[in-house]
Amino acid sequence: MKRIISILALSILSSCALVDAYLMTHYDPNEYQAITSIRAEAQLFKSQCDDPVLSQANAVKVATDTQYFVLYSEHIPRNDDLISASKDLHAIAQGLADQYSKAKVSPAFCKIKFTSVETSADRMQTVISRRPR
Amino acid sequence: MSVEQHQQALLESYNGSVDPTVQESAHTANQYTEMFKSGEINKDEYIEMMQDIVRVNNINRSMDNMQVMEHMNTAINGLINLASLV
Repeated sequence: MKRIISILALSILSSCALVDAYLMTHYDPNEYQAITSIRAEAQLFKSQCDDPVLSQANAVKVATDTQYFVLYSEHIPRNDDLISASKDLHAIAQGLADQYSKAKVSPAFCKIKFTSVETSADRMQTVISRRPR
Repeated sequence: MSVEQHQQALLESYNGSVDPTVQESAHTANQYTEMFKSGEINKDEYIEMMQDIVRVNNINRSMDNMQVMEHMNTAINGLINLASLV
């Protein structure tokens, strides 16, 4: 019986996707901490959008932290989906910081941008938390 | 094509698709277009927000892939644990 199950497991593992799934990146508390910080910041900063001076500094802070998250993730093996998501998250955050450096930013735009960062970080945090231990 | 014609096309995407992602994206794009038309956001902000719809969809797609992999990992490890117990 043991041999049959082992053969079955091995034959299933011959599929590439299953090998990728078996060898997938495990839970990393630093990665989880980084995405949690980004989510918490965005949640707080969206309530401060009526203050343009503070919000500009907030936008730079989130852009810096999302860039850190990209750099942290990008050399972890078998992590393509998270690397791709982290780059998109950074692009969302950087877009807000760039607008502040170019012109006056409307509070509505600021709130929507921080909300996008928050909801995306929330989704990423959920998935990261369920990585295999 | 005018802004209204583009909005009509968005509305048709919204009504014509059963995919919740397409529906949500079309709804969000329509909402941003209304904000732009009312002057609540400027042109640069509008363009950036429309690009964010694509970015958020990309993030969700990547997270969907990771969730599938996590479920498969659990199933494979379950099989391996089962094999080691027999």
